[in-house]
Amino acid sequence: MFLALREMRHAKARYLLIMVIMLLVSFLVLFVTGLAKGLAYANISAVENMPANYFVVQEDADHTFRRSQMTVQDLQTAKSVAGDANAASLAVQTSTVTAAENKLKVDVTYFAVDMEGMLAPRITEGKAVTNDQRGNVIVDRKLAESGIVVGSKLYDQATGLAWTVAGYTEDSSYSHTPVVYMNNTDWQAMRTGGGQGKTSAESVPYNVIALHGSSEQAHTITETLDQVEVITQKEAVSSIPGYSAEQSSLMMMIVFLFVISAFVLAVFFYVITIQKTSQFGILKAMGTRMSYLAWSVVGQVLLLSVVSLSISLLLTFAMNAALPDSMPFQLEPSTLILTGCLFIGTSLVGSLISVGRVAKIDALEAIGRAYA
Amino acid sequence: MSTKLMMKQVTQTYGDGDSTLSVLNNLDFEVQEGEFVAVLGPSGSGKSTFLSAAGALLTPTSGEIYIDGESIIQKDKTQLTELRLHKIGFMFQSAQLLPYLKVEEQLLYVARLAKLNAKEARQRAADLLKRLEISGKRNQYPEQLSGGEKQRVAIARAWMNNPAILFADEPTASLDYRRGREVVRMIADEVKKERKAAVMVTHDERMLEWCDRVLHLENGKLVEK
Repeated sequence: MFLALREMRHAKARYLLIMVIMLLVSFLVLFVTGLAKGLAYANISAVENMPANYFVVQEDADHTFRRSQMTVQDLQTAKSVAGDANAASLAVQTSTVTAAENKLKVDVTYFAVDMEGMLAPRITEGKAVTNDQRGNVIVDRKLAESGIVVGSKLYDQATGLAWTVAGYTEDSSYSHTPVVYMNNTDWQAMRTGGGQGKTSAESVPYNVIALHGSSEQAHTITETLDQVEVITQKEAVSSIPGYSAEQSSLMMMIVFLFVISAFVLAVFFYVITIQKTSQFGILKAMGTRMSYLAWSVVGQVLLLSVVSLSISLLLTFAMNAALPDSMPFQLEPSTLILTGCLFIGTSLVGSLISVGRVAKIDALEAIGRAYA
Repeated sequence: MSTKLMMKQVTQTYGDGDSTLSVLNNLDFEVQEGEFVAVLGPSGSGKSTFLSAAGALLTPTSGEIYIDGESIIQKDKTQLTELRLHKIGFMFQSAQLLPYLKVEEQLLYVARLAKLNAKEARQRAADLLKRLEISGKRNQYPEQLSGGEKQRVAIARAWMNNPAILFADEPTASLDYRRGREVVRMIADEVKKERKAAVMVTHDERMLEWCDRVLHLENGKLVEK
């Protein structure tokens, strides 16, 4: 590193420029990654946070929750295989609610769940809803930003039914809409039209069955039940409308940024290396080992990418703090570490081209040359 | 008195088949301790090839070369690099100092390569720079030095690792007459003082005053005139 550091000290402007480029690219990588993660989270957090690793869906439903229909008998079978506590029904419907007091219209997704089962929402504020209560719902806290508070009345636009918000839960979004949790009693009432008369809980089907179990249990259920498919949580998430399209376009941007940063660095160091061909010849003639020169080049790249990555991390944190909460942005330490390692990794791969070039330079270059 | 460089029947051939060109042709050459030898020849006479072979930069087509009693013929690239580091000092045309190292660092760098003790290296660098009357500039970059000063730093760098022999490739090419002579005198002084040897390749016949022997490279052989 003796040479590497002194060279950077001497050509500050040159290395500063490349560092700024690296800094901007790595900042963009982190930012877009955070945005992709944040968007994903805002999209599918309700499904992702479910303590289920499998979902039982109808075979011809194409993995999509809303197209699938499961009966009570299916649920019984699933429960008998996985255990009572490890299977729960889920019904999903997208709708629009109005809150009359503030003339508010919001798109939401209803989740009808067993309030005592594994899918019951975790209440962060307000009161829980029991399975027998009528007209009470738990909503995602994001609705609070629209002015819906505990005690507000929500009216379903399609049926005109009204519910009272009993409490909040957090991080529950489905297809970018906040989730409204209701018990199965209210769900039956809504599906059978306005809730007049007695309806049996069996008459209205569910969409899917959430399952927490082993792959053998999942397999057994597929075998036992007719025309069902058991998909993993990951498959379920990627089938949520819009999720794959959104994530793949952002992923493409991220991949391109990585490739661009690797190329920019590789080209920069390659040009510098070519420019220094005779210098490397002299160094070799004087008895500098190739390993020393290779480490010198790699060391510079490592230093540049680590420093610019660190600064862009600080920038990302600062920006994360400055962003409004409504902006979907999320970076977990594991994502940060992975992104950082990838960034440094691609930079190093780029620098290998220069190392290869240095290896080819012959010490003979040093003799009989008039200029450096 | 020991032999610092011995070349026996060294031949270097370029090309193949009909169009071979023997640049060095059964060349014999010896340099003893304390000797400063000049090798003269017009451009194209093979001076660079001669210097490259003698300086362990290339392995000749045939023949034997011993540096400080050590044969270089059987050595691989890594071993040759080690040998150059410890046994050979090089001076190149236009000094070829590293532009991003200060004068003192140019010397400390080669000491680091040879894994010399840092304190001793600093002491030796200071001594050398003082002897070559350039210690006042030890914290300056090469770009701030004149041509003669650069070559004096190059001499110091070449002697830094206590090599057996110094090879100088046209050390006066980029200097005017007066400065060129001074540089050659300093090389000669160091050879005598440290009981080493030096070979200078040049085309400038005015620079030979301090040399013990003058040889001419003709038809791939070294001849005395």
